[in-house]
Amino acid sequence: MAPGPDPNSVGDGAKRDEATTKVPSKDPKKKDDKKEEDLSEEDLQLKQNLELYVERVQDPNPELQKAALESMRQEIRASTSSMTSVPKPLKFLRPHYGTLKEFHKNMAESDLKKLLADILSVLALTMSAEGERESLGYRLTGSEGDIGSWGHEYVRNLAGEIAEEYTVRQGEESSIEDLMDLVQQIVAFHMKHNAETEAVDLLMDVEDLDLLLEHVDRTNFRRTCNYLTSAAKYLPGPDDMLVLDIAYMIYIKFEEYPNALQIALFLDNMQYVKQVFTSCTDLLRKKQFCYMISRHGITFELDPEMVENDVDREMLQDIVNNTKLSEGYLTLARDIEVMEAKTPEDIYKAHLLDGRASSGPSADSARQNLAATFVNAFVNAGFGQDKLMTVPSDSTSGSAGNWLFKNKEHGKTSAAASLGMILLWDVDAGLTHLDKYFHTNDNPIIAGALLGVGIVNCGIKNDCDPALALLGEYIDKEDSSVRIGAIMGLGIAYAGSQNDQIKSSLSPILNDAKAPLDVIAFAALSLGMIYVGSCNEEVAQSIIFALMDRSEAELGEALTRFLPLGLGLLYLGKQESVEATAEVSKTFNEKIRKYCDMTLLSCAYAGTGNVLKVQDLLAQCGEHLEKGDNHQGPAVLGLAMVAMSEELGLDMAIRSLERVLQYGEQNVRRAVPLALGLLCISNPKVTVMDTLSRLSHDTDSEVAMSAIISLGLIGAGTNNARIAGMLRNLSSYYYKDASLLFCVRIAQGLVHMGKGLLTLSPFHSERLLLSPTALAGIVTLLHACLDMKSIILGKYHYVLYFLVLAMQPRMMLTVDENLKPISVPVRVGQAVDVVGQAGRPKTITGFQTHSTPVLLAAGERAELATDKYIPLSPILEGFIILKENPDYREE
Amino acid sequence: MLTVSVKWQKKVFEGIEIDPTLPPYVFKAQLYDLTGVPPERQKIMVKGGLLKDDADWSAIGVKDGQKLMMMGTADEIVKAPEKAIVFAEDLPEEEQATHLGYSAGLVNLGNTCYMNSTVQCLKSVPELKSALSNYALTGRSNDVDQTSHMLTVATRELFGDLDRSVNAVSPTQFWMTLRKKFPQFSQLQNGMHMQQDAEECWTQLLYTLSQSLKAPASSEDSDAVKALFGVNLRSRVHCQESGEESSETESVYSLKCHISHEVNHLHEGLKHGLKGELEKTSPALGRTALYLKESLIDSLPSYLTVQFVRFFWKRETNQKAKILRKVDYPLELDIFDLCSEDLRKKLEAPRQKLRDEEGKKLGLQPKSSSKDSDVKMTDAEASSNESGESSTVTQQEGASSEKGTLHMTGIYDLVSVLTHKGRSADSGHYVAWVKQESGKWIQYDDSHPSLQREEDITKLSGGGDWHMAYIIMYKARLVSM
Repeated sequence: MAPGPDPNSVGDGAKRDEATTKVPSKDPKKKDDKKEEDLSEEDLQLKQNLELYVERVQDPNPELQKAALESMRQEIRASTSSMTSVPKPLKFLRPHYGTLKEFHKNMAESDLKKLLADILSVLALTMSAEGERESLGYRLTGSEGDIGSWGHEYVRNLAGEIAEEYTVRQGEESSIEDLMDLVQQIVAFHMKHNAETEAVDLLMDVEDLDLLLEHVDRTNFRRTCNYLTSAAKYLPGPDDMLVLDIAYMIYIKFEEYPNALQIALFLDNMQYVKQVFTSCTDLLRKKQFCYMISRHGITFELDPEMVENDVDREMLQDIVNNTKLSEGYLTLARDIEVMEAKTPEDIYKAHLLDGRASSGPSADSARQNLAATFVNAFVNAGFGQDKLMTVPSDSTSGSAGNWLFKNKEHGKTSAAASLGMILLWDVDAGLTHLDKYFHTNDNPIIAGALLGVGIVNCGIKNDCDPALALLGEYIDKEDSSVRIGAIMGLGIAYAGSQNDQIKSSLSPILNDAKAPLDVIAFAALSLGMIYVGSCNEEVAQSIIFALMDRSEAELGEALTRFLPLGLGLLYLGKQESVEATAEVSKTFNEKIRKYCDMTLLSCAYAGTGNVLKVQDLLAQCGEHLEKGDNHQGPAVLGLAMVAMSEELGLDMAIRSLERVLQYGEQNVRRAVPLALGLLCISNPKVTVMDTLSRLSHDTDSEVAMSAIISLGLIGAGTNNARIAGMLRNLSSYYYKDASLLFCVRIAQGLVHMGKGLLTLSPFHSERLLLSPTALAGIVTLLHACLDMKSIILGKYHYVLYFLVLAMQPRMMLTVDENLKPISVPVRVGQAVDVVGQAGRPKTITGFQTHSTPVLLAAGERAELATDKYIPLSPILEGFIILKENPDYREE
Repeated sequence: MLTVSVKWQKKVFEGIEIDPTLPPYVFKAQLYDLTGVPPERQKIMVKGGLLKDDADWSAIGVKDGQKLMMMGTADEIVKAPEKAIVFAEDLPEEEQATHLGYSAGLVNLGNTCYMNSTVQCLKSVPELKSALSNYALTGRSNDVDQTSHMLTVATRELFGDLDRSVNAVSPTQFWMTLRKKFPQFSQLQNGMHMQQDAEECWTQLLYTLSQSLKAPASSEDSDAVKALFGVNLRSRVHCQESGEESSETESVYSLKCHISHEVNHLHEGLKHGLKGELEKTSPALGRTALYLKESLIDSLPSYLTVQFVRFFWKRETNQKAKILRKVDYPLELDIFDLCSEDLRKKLEAPRQKLRDEEGKKLGLQPKSSSKDSDVKMTDAEASSNESGESSTVTQQEGASSEKGTLHMTGIYDLVSVLTHKGRSADSGHYVAWVKQESGKWIQYDDSHPSLQREEDITKLSGGGDWHMAYIIMYKARLVSM
């Protein structure tokens, strides 16, 4: 609460210095503790003077009154800059407050009365009873002078009283005009004196943030916006949107386009995004915007209004379409020297376990081979090479073929699809590798190839739409596994695209009475992904009808859960928009009603941090229900989905889950590890790691399975040695239980995902933005994990590939103006929260200097360690374009 | 005429002309020339799907200068391997069992862990198994009573079941017959069958088996069980008062390891156990006198059983109390110095042989000075010894192989440990730890077999409340001469 530099402080400081040099022992702080008799000569003098003034104020002579008031004002002004102790003049005037008040009441209207009101207003700062707001009252009747001259503390107090007064007046519906004048003054004062946060607080209290726009300037807009954006997380809707709107406008005003774009994306307001493009004229900066949009994973079409030149537009569109992602990722991989393909054995590290797992079984276990397939896919994701699937088939039958056929039936689907994962983002090479599998007559393999095409195209858009062209043909095939492969592939490839063509081909399946349940479930899910967060009525209708058409028996199936989930994804993060649909869901069969309700609620409020919803969901988890009710699982997951957006809520959610774990029913306990996994995804917090490690030995095997998968999720792409060790021990602990061992293997694959270059976190841009498609992918997997036995351990293990939607390189790659990678030194360290701090505080701590490209772990931030270049975005994540600094001088 | 460019893999073919009047098949043929991909495998992406061979160019709406994308390879199509891969999950249960490398556990029927662990330990003796399988159903000799016969059959059946099953076996039949034969195991406490002393079960079971497996006809090698487990002791009974001395022989199935304050190691305990004092009537003195009895081993069994005498009757508490003292035991036991003079002489040559072989394994040359004449022989035998060594696995095999006969060396390897956890023999928990033929150690905790490390086996030596060895079994290391 240190006051900023104050115009009064100079004079005051000088005066106090004088005083202390004269009588060093008379420190004002010590002074207060002493009794009145111990007053120093000087203080006594002051006290007497003030008493004299008070007396004179009541003198009938206006001249004398005026002189007294002026002197009194002088004394007070000289001392109110600091509130570490009650300023002496105020202290001495305390006994006279009542007298002065009384006198003021009886005074005739005059300048003097106003002057006295000013003084009383200041005196009320210490005297007025709580809630009386006397300071404000006298201020309003006083002279309209510069309030700043009374010191910072006075202004702050006034601001508080205004806020109170405002609420009262809102209730009475009386005018607030007089208040607003004062607000103007106070805001101007705060903004000038490094107290942006207080200005913002006041304006939020009086609900007039627009005023801010007038008062921000180049020196303080950054801090202002920073405060606005972080405050938005704790505001109830729709205030939060309003706050962000203001922040957006301020950024636009000061041409801080990258930040403006960030907020536009957060608001999911395409109009704003467009405005960023139209306002900015620099092509290079537009390129940077495109990189930011591509990381967010939304479909965005540039139009001639945004970029005039056709060639430029095409180039920018290419960036938005992520076509260079594979290249950048491989640059990173080469730089870090991890191109060498890894085998599942390299990950299991069985040799580190003593003797137990050393002698492998002689016959191939389909379960274990399937696990190896997934591990291989996750670990070598995006590298374009591995040692099982892409090995050139030069020998007689080819080893690629060999490994494929070491998987059993539906396992072959996952094996073929793993090629898509290995060649992730590299559409050309991926399609080439997958092509040969289209020509077999083995249905699971074709299904896998189709799914693989979808995976390769995940997040990549292409004018030719190869995924749609290829997969579209297979949607209505006879074999349901082939259909599922094609449908799921489309869902992954076109997540978030809102592609009408796909809608028109998938919607009929939903309401096709002859279609098997699994096909319908995957169709609903894919539609949910393609229209994620769109609130599309038509799709919602189709899914609702599909749900209503299901028979009682079908509603009990594990896969049915994908229908409500698909519905929920449509409203992902859209809050109130879900209400109409939620109302409809109340008419569903009671078997699915509650499940649907929970799913819709949790999806709609995902990433909002809405405390009321968290409480709702917690209440659901706390109930002890009859067997057979299954809606508590999604409620627990929902808890994590809602709370995951900001750090405070996240920590609270982790603590609440700990309680739920202790007192909850078994079906609640099973979901808790998954919720923890979501909260800390790709962010291995030690406390959560310990909890999960404990749960991984739980007597209930389903709790143990979810805990193991969650260990993989929290360590996903981190290569975290501690988790790797835990999983290795679990692999020997559970070596006999094929199901648990399978989970352990999957988790091991996740931890080493992309050899540690990837992250699953749906948050990016310093944890501000939440990629809807990424979240959709994770949530789908978690819902599937709620019934591990029938889905992942059954024949739908390929739902694991939904994780690809959340997979992103956790890199910072710097490119020059021609988008060629360049290496510059950067400092990478733990991010520090600098919201509300004055000056230019350090944004990272405990940093190390590397040269780009670098990896960023959860909670880390980078900053350039050279002045030679200027980054075009203040948020150093993903692709960053560097411009040469024209002012740079070689030393 | 339209001119388009076609992207295929990473290559772009510029300026390919399309004649809109000809079907797309012609276009594909053009691409075949360029890429080598046969037209039927070309997939060309156009608006709204793939380009069909008979499509109409005008309907597709290809524009001049458009970029098309083609997918397709001339690669060989993947074929399933001719020989289908057999997965472990598809195997019948029995094969899955062999696959695991160890047999199933036994279900606890209510305080029957003493019995389960005994059975698991005994089952690890293949010779006993084969002896049992030779025991014909009808071959009951008259001197074996009905209950013994039934118990023997039940044992045989149980061993068979264990070998066949993957999941835990329920030894109900065996338990019934065991209780019939030995009613003391049917004691009830609070309506439950009581925990029993595993040692008693072990001894009684072996005794029964030895009775029923006695081959009636042949006199030599008549007792299979005795041949396997029996230890002949020659004792010298000496009376210090009178100076009388006599010697007697006896045959026991197990050696006792007495635990006193000086005993820290199995070897000391065994020595202790072979010395005893007894009071008996001295013919010379005409009254009872104190005799010292010192026993030495006269003949060695294939399987040496050692019982740690951990329990003693504590009068104050009226129960069998347990000595928790830590007594170490080795994985490899040499009992040479517990043997009688005659036996030692017999053992010398095989032991030398064994040392030589081990030396050779370590890369040392056998000392030529030890036996001049033998040098050649050992060399000559060296090559054939590989098979000889592997044949030491079972005695029968070794005997049937023509490489001479197998000889005892006095060196034993640990094969199974029966442990007890708890404070008295009639309570707590018994567990069997058995070495498999693969060399792996398995802990049979009733129905849960689990792999263990060899170095952990010697840690079962007591001194705390952890499982501690109660009965351990060693297998003789044989050498062929």
